[in-house]
Amino acid sequence: MSEHLLTVTELTVTRPGAKRPELDRLSLAVDAGETLVILGEAGCGKEALMRVLAGAPDRDEIVDGTLQFGSASPERAVKFPKPAIRMSYLPGPFEQPLNLHVSALSQLTRIIARKLDAPRASAQEELGLALGRLSGAPKPADLDRPPLSLSPEIQAWGLFAAAFAQNPELLLADHSLAGLAPGHARALTRALLAEQARLGFAILYAAMNAETPAWLKGRLIVMRHGKIVEEGPAERLATTQAHSYTQTLFKAQPAPLNDKPRASTRGQPVIQAYRIEMAKPSPKRMRDDLTFELRRGAALALIGDEGSGRHTLARILLGLDRAPAGRIVFDAVDIGVLARNMMARLRRRVAFVAGADDMLDPRMTIWDTVAEPLRTHLDLPRHVTASYRDVALKRVGLASLAGNRSVATLSAFDKRRLQVARAIVSAPVLAVIDEPLRGLDAFAQAVMRDLLKNFRTHEGPAFLVITSDIMVAQSLAEDAMIMKDGRVIERGSLADILRAPKAAYTLSLIEASAPVKNSALPPAVPQG
Amino acid sequence: MSLVSTNEVPGPTITLGGVIRAVGFIGLGAIGVTVGLSDVLARAPADAVDYGPPLMAPSVHFPLGTDVLGRDMASETLHALAVTVTNAGIAAIVVVVAGGLAGFIAARLPYRIGFLLRGIGGILGAVPALLLAILFIGLANRGLAPFAAGLAAAPLGFVRAFDRARALGQSRHAEFARATGISPGALLRRDLTYEFRDSFLSIATRALAAVTIVLSTVSFFGYGATPPHRDLGLMIAAARDVYFDAWWTAAIPAIALALFVLCARLAAGLDEGERA
Repeated sequence: MSEHLLTVTELTVTRPGAKRPELDRLSLAVDAGETLVILGEAGCGKEALMRVLAGAPDRDEIVDGTLQFGSASPERAVKFPKPAIRMSYLPGPFEQPLNLHVSALSQLTRIIARKLDAPRASAQEELGLALGRLSGAPKPADLDRPPLSLSPEIQAWGLFAAAFAQNPELLLADHSLAGLAPGHARALTRALLAEQARLGFAILYAAMNAETPAWLKGRLIVMRHGKIVEEGPAERLATTQAHSYTQTLFKAQPAPLNDKPRASTRGQPVIQAYRIEMAKPSPKRMRDDLTFELRRGAALALIGDEGSGRHTLARILLGLDRAPAGRIVFDAVDIGVLARNMMARLRRRVAFVAGADDMLDPRMTIWDTVAEPLRTHLDLPRHVTASYRDVALKRVGLASLAGNRSVATLSAFDKRRLQVARAIVSAPVLAVIDEPLRGLDAFAQAVMRDLLKNFRTHEGPAFLVITSDIMVAQSLAEDAMIMKDGRVIERGSLADILRAPKAAYTLSLIEASAPVKNSALPPAVPQG
Repeated sequence: MSLVSTNEVPGPTITLGGVIRAVGFIGLGAIGVTVGLSDVLARAPADAVDYGPPLMAPSVHFPLGTDVLGRDMASETLHALAVTVTNAGIAAIVVVVAGGLAGFIAARLPYRIGFLLRGIGGILGAVPALLLAILFIGLANRGLAPFAAGLAAAPLGFVRAFDRARALGQSRHAEFARATGISPGALLRRDLTYEFRDSFLSIATRALAAVTIVLSTVSFFGYGATPPHRDLGLMIAAARDVYFDAWWTAAIPAIALALFVLCARLAAGLDEGERA
């Protein structure tokens, strides 16, 4: 009879034709109330383990090995095993686990009702109670909208509350915090640890970067190619790693830079904003009177949470929306007097790299995606276009992929790199970099950071970085505007802001993005 | 979820839908070959009366029998099939151009004009295509029946294409493209290229099935094909008086018509589409 809550023995998951198994005779055990974090890059095997434990391996996956839940006898790990313990599956909101067009509240209630075998009304009450217990969580009414119109952070609170409402013995957290704004990720982590202390459930967390284990503590397993390469307490592994792979994994985490403040006055001004005001979707609007300029080769980060007005400001700066007041000069042209088609012509010198995977047309091929700006904006011979395209693809490391492959078949990381390739051939004066690292594992994040830095060095565009993570902002920009509730609350050199933040909100953003070595979860910082 | 793509393009997988479509296309191909060789395969010329005794049941000499005027049913069915397929082909092209293509272009017109056209398309789409076809033939002439049938079946395709184009125009990737200065013309070109490349055959075969039924029914009522260029609808209509005594006179062209429509429907993946 096992003393463990979950015992996985010799679990192997293979796909026909694959070079190596996704999981290679993996054995592990989780005790009651324990926190076990599985860390590794995408495809290391943690996803396959989660699928098997959740009872939903892919159709073509061949699963072998045994699972033992609590004191029940070991069973072969086949599809849809009936665990003898209460288990909740907690996916991240970016995996889009809910139907995008149906009320999130209704879907979460249905999940709880089915798991608890309870009436819907009772399940909704359980969800409401769970949300009420979580500090910082939205109200149930806030979730009564389709996920399409909810921010990922609100969805995450709902998913967490629904998982807790099931009163689990084991929580399978599948990248549950991945891609969330650092402030929200930390608040959710606090809520997770508080509920674990209250309910005593065990957590099995699949993580793709080293921040999460540092926050959750507990035991850490580092996986590569379906095998465990290192195991130990998360706090020890955060500082001392024995295996070279683990060392590389931790080194890939963004580290704080200690550069001196750099002036953003480099080349010619790309954007000059004079006394602009941002419309805010509330009846009372405060005056902003925002005046600044962004020069070629410089980088400005707009930092804030979802709904802070970063995107509104970016859209105004690009002439996609009109500011209620003020004047914007883009590349020496006052965009306030430009006709729509002339503005579109001006925007040919703008490139985007965004963290959303639907920014590229999924029907297009890799070659078409990269060559489209050249084909539509310039009258170049076909071989010249092809040559620019191939060089850009080579620079981002996608040259080995078949060019006629459609974007829909690419991974999130490849789509992100394809956006960079498209930006490179556009030779832009301004690049809008919107949450570029969202949802990527530590290695992919490191590669993306390098690609973007390389892009900036070689092509020299001005960077307008939109992010909620100060660490990301610091790696890509020198200047910053901290935004909250549609207003700029602090601005200046990022190094100065980090050294001496003036607003409490800025301090909370800095602490939420604190690197791994400051792994202790900081107390909640009062907002405002 | 894997963040790193493999270097191999995912190979085509065999699905039930794919098998159904393949069967449909094989059937359409066989019908196309038969139509192409109809003059060779038919032993009697079109509308050759008194080729055999009237209303002779299927026999060794006349495998599909003869009709009331002594025409060889096998030869007549082949000629009628050729007329039906040719006219349906023309009508299907009209549906694709006046339906799918025009819908995509209309969606890019100024908002009010686009939605006015969509409204007109919606109203016309609510009227049975058969009645519209009869109306259009009355306004033009019987020789233009294929064009009339195509225009009658086009409104639903127009509305469908319009809505699809609007959805594509509001997608994130289109917004991203516009924000980087990609012109509306380039976006339309992109949509047409990819939408029609991926779904042209499906749209065309769906239209083929719809217009074949419209054209045959129009001919059955006497507003379509005229002798000597009889189509399958007209053959069935000609057998009305003798059908209960000589079943083969109507059943043979009806089976040919049913097979053609079935193949077109299968090729379209059994998509209902612009059902007549």
